[in-house]
Amino acid sequence: MKWMLSTVALVVLGVGYVTAQDLFVRLPADPPAKNPLEGNADAITAGMGAYRQRCADCHGVDARGIRSPDITQVWAKGRTDRALFGIVRNGIPGTEMPAHPAPRTSDTDIWRILAYVKTLAASAPDAPPPGDAGSGENLFARNCLGCHRVGDRGGQLGPDLTRIGAARARAALGRQIRGQVADFRPGYEPVTLTTPQGHQIRGVKKNEDMFSVQIMDSTERIQGYLREDMRTVTAEKQSAMPAFGSERLTDAELDDLLAYLTSLQGATSPAEAGNR
Amino acid sequence: MLRRLLLAAVAVSIVVGSLVAQEAPPRLVSPQELLAGLPADGSRWVTFGGSYTNQRHSPLTQITPENVGRLAPQWVFQTDTPGRFETTPLLRDNVLYVTGPLNMAWAIDARSGREIWRYRRELPATGSLTACCGLVNKGFGVLGDRLFMTTLDAHLLALDMKTGAIVWDATLEDYTKGYASTIAPLVVKDKVIVGVAGGEYGIRGFIDAYDAKTGKQAWRFYTIPGPGEPGHDTWAGDSWKTGGASVWVTGAYDPELNLLYYGIGNPGPDYHSESRKGDNLYSDSIVALDADTGKLRWHYQFTPHDLHDWDATEVPVLADLTIGGQPRKVVMLANRNGFFYTLDRTDGKLLVAKPFVVTTWAKEVGADGRPVVLPGNVPDEKGSLTCPDVTGATNFWPPSYDPAQRLFFVNAREVCATYYAWRQEYVPGERFTGGAGQRARGPDYRAYGALRALDPATGERRWEFEYISPSTSGLLSTASGLIFSGDAEGNFLAIDARSGKFLWRFQMGSALHGTSAITYMLDGRQQVLVPAGTTLTAWALSDVPRVPATR
Repeated sequence: MKWMLSTVALVVLGVGYVTAQDLFVRLPADPPAKNPLEGNADAITAGMGAYRQRCADCHGVDARGIRSPDITQVWAKGRTDRALFGIVRNGIPGTEMPAHPAPRTSDTDIWRILAYVKTLAASAPDAPPPGDAGSGENLFARNCLGCHRVGDRGGQLGPDLTRIGAARARAALGRQIRGQVADFRPGYEPVTLTTPQGHQIRGVKKNEDMFSVQIMDSTERIQGYLREDMRTVTAEKQSAMPAFGSERLTDAELDDLLAYLTSLQGATSPAEAGNR
Repeated sequence: MLRRLLLAAVAVSIVVGSLVAQEAPPRLVSPQELLAGLPADGSRWVTFGGSYTNQRHSPLTQITPENVGRLAPQWVFQTDTPGRFETTPLLRDNVLYVTGPLNMAWAIDARSGREIWRYRRELPATGSLTACCGLVNKGFGVLGDRLFMTTLDAHLLALDMKTGAIVWDATLEDYTKGYASTIAPLVVKDKVIVGVAGGEYGIRGFIDAYDAKTGKQAWRFYTIPGPGEPGHDTWAGDSWKTGGASVWVTGAYDPELNLLYYGIGNPGPDYHSESRKGDNLYSDSIVALDADTGKLRWHYQFTPHDLHDWDATEVPVLADLTIGGQPRKVVMLANRNGFFYTLDRTDGKLLVAKPFVVTTWAKEVGADGRPVVLPGNVPDEKGSLTCPDVTGATNFWPPSYDPAQRLFFVNAREVCATYYAWRQEYVPGERFTGGAGQRARGPDYRAYGALRALDPATGERRWEFEYISPSTSGLLSTASGLIFSGDAEGNFLAIDARSGKFLWRFQMGSALHGTSAITYMLDGRQQVLVPAGTTLTAWALSDVPRVPATR
């Protein structure tokens, strides 16, 4: 009996260790196939508040996606309630979609949110969006590949875009390329360090504290510096990502580029596949 | 052989002789020892706040602003278990008594950092525990040869100091209904005082006293008055039954007045106004209770009908001050709601109430003691923006108070939030918040923290030391003019208590969260003990000669 208890304890500790933030994980029971709260007016109201508080930052108040996919079409694309529940509960490893473990997030909390999102559900578009992915790939190679990586090609100063088509809504990508939205994604904020000799080191900030700053510089060298060793450490106001206005990229070219970007679905992670 | 035996006998007699020559501390921790607080010789730290006043201000002066830069690590203790320290360790007779996550606990040799014994509670499946904010514990209480610890499944344990064996086990409440306990017990005379967590789970909060010898309940004070009791009518309908008002931060005690002072948690559901109309006493209040009977002597409510989860579970600090030419026995509390308060602790009269961070929900506290609430701060489904945020202007991390300078030190947060609210049905054991808050982001909402020195007679700020992000570290100050703090990025910091100037730092690898360093003397060297993440690290001036133990 004693060894059984310690085995259980080890298992519990193991689970806790995996989700370092929230140690106390309710061991998952199979959720029902269908949302038990779908159409329930109280649940939808509660779900709206919870959605706006916990999801809207990335998915947008209209659920059409800002720094995350448009989720109004998830049902149209064939996802089940149970699969969506699993994604909210467990997150998608390797992406920005976090897990929402119990007891902070109860089963009811998740079903409420899904009940609300269901009220925003849209049907799949009839016609495919405009643009030629092949031309878009050429545009990408000329303008973007220096900083962004797709698969094993490209730079690493900007975010990896291997699965950007799955991670971002098309419209949000368009706004970002045009420079119409403020971009303050952690890990990519531009910073300039000036040495006592006046030499400037430009890069993106990976981390910092009161006494030090960690960067990837423009040559993709990762390095940490003590603030006391620098004359100045300046956070730049302008995003490291240049704005591509219509003078640099026509509307038609933007469509081509977006067609290419939305085709980048990456490798489907096992966890995601399991939730389908 | 004989020669060797003789030599051994001589050696033994020398050791025994020196044992007799040196005065050992009494075997049992007495109520008088607890009353004495932090002794000038630095030989112990035996209550949560160092003394019943909760000042966390040490009389020790070996480590100074001039030499703090020479602090060197003596040892590191690792818990080897996930979860972090939120504990205040106790020290007595060169042994540390420390509680950790998952209701683990240790006795540790303060000289070497080596474990003497370890305790681990067999907890129910972790998924069934309802502690809202981590499987943590805030520390032991001690009396006689027993240590007292609350548990995540809402029990109070007495452990044998020498072995860690359980002496008795008292049940506070049914943990499956949302009750938990993380508070460090306060031992007063022959009683062990504790409270319960669960303000996000629709509990009815209380403060309990247990007989230290037997574990039998001596009294209970419900933080929400029942039918027929004064204050019951401040809860509409049946809302009092699930009104929260938890107690999860250790209070203070005034032996002359024989009064306990405890800050009470938020009303539940946290954010939804319509669910619990009324002032919702004694949520978000400070209560003064008779230590022998648990009877309420006075109360003061900081945030009537709170809609922002602003528990008053900050550490109350006692001091004697002169305000307006009049000597006052006061209790001070820097509140999550953004105001710093000084009250007369004999009768609860409000003396000072002044914001110590940007505060948008109330214009001021009126002459009647009630906040003058500003419109536009009631959370709803669309969300309303209010400062401070949910975590608040400060929170459970302990402040400190320097009686010589008459300064109150606190780690403050400058953060705003959008608050949402909706109606929620109560289900026993499930979260019951009726809404949520989300930190305001973007260039207009710079979130940061600062260590602030406040004059408790006026609430005015004397100086501040700014952090790049909000810190959740508690504080320790010393008579030599040092403050030990931490930032959110894991730096352990020494700050000049007279000017707020930075003196020294060390990157601990994890932030001090909700806990403070403690300090004591060991073999002639002043030690600073730092709980951070899963480690305890002892620091001392390595160039001060050690006086080895002789007993």
